[in-house]
Amino acid sequence: MSLLDVRNLTIALPPGADRAHAVEDVSFTLDAGEILCIVGESGSGKSVSAGAIMGLLPPALGVVRGSIVFEGRDLLGLAPTAMRLLRGSRIGMIFQEPMTALNPLMRVGEQIAEVLKVHGVGGSAARVRELIEAVQLPDPERITRSYPHLLSGGQRQRVMIAMALALEPAVLIADEPTTALDVTTQMQILGLIKEIQSRRGMGVLFITHDFGVVAEIADRVAVMQYGRIVEAGPAAQVLNAPQHSYTQALIAAVPHRARALATPPNGPPVLELIGVRKTYWRSGGLFAPRIGVPAVQDADLVLRKGETLGLVGESGSGKSTLARCVVNLVKPEEGAIRFGDTDLRRLMRRHWKPFRKRIQMIFQDPFASLNPRRRVGDIIAEGPISHGMARAAALRRAGELLALVQLDAGAAERFPHEFSGGQRQRIGIARALALEPELLIADEPVSALDVSVQAQILALLEDLRQRLGLTMLFITHDLRVAAQVCGRVAVMQRGVIVEQGATAEVFAAPRHPYTQSLLDSIPGRHWLPPVGQHSSR
Amino acid sequence: MKKLELEFLGTFLRNRGAAAGLAVLALVGVAAASAGVLFPYSPWDMRGAPFMQPGEMEFVLGSDSLGRDVAAGIAYGARVSLLIGAVSTLVAVLLGITLGAIAGYAGGVVDDAIMRFTEFFQTVPSFMLAVVLVAIFSPSLGSIVAAIAIVSWPPVARVIRAEFLSLRSREFVQAAEVLGRSRSAIIFREILPNALSPIIVLASLMVASAILLESGLSFLGLGDPNMISWGFMIGAGRSVIRMAWWMSVFPGVAIFFTVLALNLVGEGLSDALNPRLARRR
Repeated sequence: MSLLDVRNLTIALPPGADRAHAVEDVSFTLDAGEILCIVGESGSGKSVSAGAIMGLLPPALGVVRGSIVFEGRDLLGLAPTAMRLLRGSRIGMIFQEPMTALNPLMRVGEQIAEVLKVHGVGGSAARVRELIEAVQLPDPERITRSYPHLLSGGQRQRVMIAMALALEPAVLIADEPTTALDVTTQMQILGLIKEIQSRRGMGVLFITHDFGVVAEIADRVAVMQYGRIVEAGPAAQVLNAPQHSYTQALIAAVPHRARALATPPNGPPVLELIGVRKTYWRSGGLFAPRIGVPAVQDADLVLRKGETLGLVGESGSGKSTLARCVVNLVKPEEGAIRFGDTDLRRLMRRHWKPFRKRIQMIFQDPFASLNPRRRVGDIIAEGPISHGMARAAALRRAGELLALVQLDAGAAERFPHEFSGGQRQRIGIARALALEPELLIADEPVSALDVSVQAQILALLEDLRQRLGLTMLFITHDLRVAAQVCGRVAVMQRGVIVEQGATAEVFAAPRHPYTQSLLDSIPGRHWLPPVGQHSSR
Repeated sequence: MKKLELEFLGTFLRNRGAAAGLAVLALVGVAAASAGVLFPYSPWDMRGAPFMQPGEMEFVLGSDSLGRDVAAGIAYGARVSLLIGAVSTLVAVLLGITLGAIAGYAGGVVDDAIMRFTEFFQTVPSFMLAVVLVAIFSPSLGSIVAAIAIVSWPPVARVIRAEFLSLRSREFVQAAEVLGRSRSAIIFREILPNALSPIIVLASLMVASAILLESGLSFLGLGDPNMISWGFMIGAGRSVIRMAWWMSVFPGVAIFFTVLALNLVGEGLSDALNPRLARRR
C-alpha cells in the first residue's frame, strides 16, 4: 500500500470561474522514499491538489468527491483537530515565499522550537541545533539567535525546511520551494531536499512549473493541465519520451541549447558603454554618513548592429540597473553611454527626446507595465503621438502593430485587464515597436510567463528582430533563455561584468568561476530536451 | 467601461449602509433644491407667534423666538451646508492634489519643502485656525469656504504624495518616460487617474467634516449673516433650549444625519474601490 493515495479528487471552483473544477478526477500515489513532481503551468490546479492534502483549501473551494488516504486514514473525512495534529507532525510543508513565511519578530531558534512545542515534543536547544545543522546552515549558534531579516532568501528557505522536518514527517509537500530563489541557491536547496529525503526515506510531493527542476530531482512525474493529470510516469520516460501532446508541447517549449552563431557580429557599434558606474545611496540616519551601495561598477559593453547581446546574472547583480542607465531611468554618475556619436549620459531631458524614438524598452512584469486605466490602442499610440504624429494616424499604426504581434484588431478598444500575461507582453512589445526603434532593451521580458507562452514570445521577438533589423540588449536570469536567444552574453556579478563573449564559447568554456557556478546551477543541465515532431517552431 | 461602472455601482449598493447614506443625502439634496417651492418665503420672515410647538399653527417643526419657521430654516440651511461642504472640499482637493503631486513626482528637496509646509498646517488645530481666518476676513460665504479649504487640504496632499511615490516607480510610468512623454502628460494622464480612488473616499469624508466646521463657525456667530444655516439655528436656540427644545434639536438632527450619511457613503466607496474587498463579496 502506498504512503499517500489520492484517488479521483475533484474540487469545485466557485460559480463564474473559467472552468467548473479546480481539479478533476486527479489520482496519484506517493511511496516512501520517492520524489513525485507535479508539473503544470499557472492555473493548472497543482497547488490546489497540495492544499487539499494539507486541508488548507481556500474557503471558496469545496471537495466534490474523491479520497485522500494517508497511512490508512481518509484525510477528507478527518475532523479539524485531528487534521491539525497530523499537519506538521506527519505531513510537512514548505512554501514558495521564504521571505514572508517566517515571523519577523521571532528569533529563528524560537520559531523552530515552537513547532516542536505545539506538538508537545518540547523544543530543547539541542534538538533545534541538530535541525539547523541538518539543513546545513552555517554557524548554527549565530543563526539560532538571529532574526529572519538577517538571513538571505536561501537561508530562510533552509529554516523553513528545518521547521518542516522538525517532527520527522512521513511526507513532505514542497510547493514551488525554489521559484523565488536565484539559480545557484536553487541548486543548493534542491540538493538539500534530495539528500534529506534519501537519508530519511520520506515521500516528497514536489510542485513546480520548471522542467529543469523536474529533471534534476524527480523519480516520478505527473503533468497537469486544466485541473487534470494528462500524463504520469517515471521521470526518464516522461522527460525523454513524452506521450501526451501537451507534455510534448511543454517540453518543446523549454529553451534549447545554444544555437550556432552564423557570423560573428561585425556591424558598426550601435551602443557603447564605457566605464559606467552607478551607486545607490542609502541614508544612514540623522547623524550617520550616507552608505553607498555600488550597483554597477565600470561596465564596458559594445553592442553591434543587428546582434542580440544577453546580460545575465542573479538578482541584485545590477543588470536591470545597467539597462535603466541606457534609457536614462537611472542616472549613472560616471562613464559614457555612446549611442552613435552622442554621449547619452550628458544629455538634458529635452535633448533626450529624439533618442527616445530610437531606443525603446520592454518591461518585465506584463501586469505592471500597462496603465490599467487606458485602452490598449491609446497605450500603443501614445508614443507616436508624443513625437508629433496625428492621433488618427497613430491609432491606425497601433492597429497594424497589433497585427504584427499577432493580436486581433479589436484589442485596441479593450483595457489591459482583459488580457492574459502573454497577450499583455505582446501589447508591451507593440508599444515599444510603435516608435520604430533601432535599439530594443528587453528587461526579463519572459520571466513572468509560463513556459509555453515564454516560447511564443521568444519566437515573436526573434522574428521581429530579423524582420525589422533590430539590435537587442536582452536581460535575463535564465541561462537557458540566454542560450537560445543571444549571440553574445555578458555575465554580471555584484555590479561587475565578469565575463563576456560569444554565447557558445562562454557556455562551452567559461573562464570566470562565477560563470562556471552559474552554468553548473542550471537545473537539469544534464538533460537534453528531446526535439520531437511537435517542436514549437 | 460601461460594464465596469455597473459592476462598481452594484458592489457599492450591496453595502446597505452606503445605500441608506445615499438615500439620506438625496433627501437632503431634494430639501435644499425645493426649499423655494416648499417655503416660498425667506427663512428670516416672521410667520406667526414665537415659540410655537411643532405642529401648531402651520409650523411643522415649530417656530423660533421671533416667530420664524424652523422647517424653512432647515430647508434653506441645507443649501448652505451642501454648498459650503462641496465647494470647500473641491478647493481643498485641488490644492492638495497639486501640492501632493508635485511633492511625490519631484521628490528630493522639493518634496521635503512641500511636506514641511504641509506639516505646518497640520500642527495648528484646524478649528482654531478656521475661527481666526474667518474672524480676520469678516464672515462671508467666500471667507468661510476659503478658511475650511485651507484647514482641510493637508491630508489630501499627503495621500496623493504617497500614491505618487509608489506609482512613480511602476513600470507603466517608466514606460511612458522611455516613450518620451512630457512631464505633465505623465503626471496627469498616467499617474493621477490611478491615484484618484483614495481621494474620492477622502473627499466624501471631507464634505462631512466641512459641514461640521461650518456649523461650528456659525454656532459661534461666524456664519454668513445673510444666509441661515444649521449651526446658526442651534446657536440661536441654545439660550432657550429648556422652553423650546425644537429650535436646536431639529437642526442638530439634520447635521447628524447628513454627516452620518456622508460617512456611510465614504465607507461604501472605500470598500467598493478596494479591489481586494470587492472580490470577496
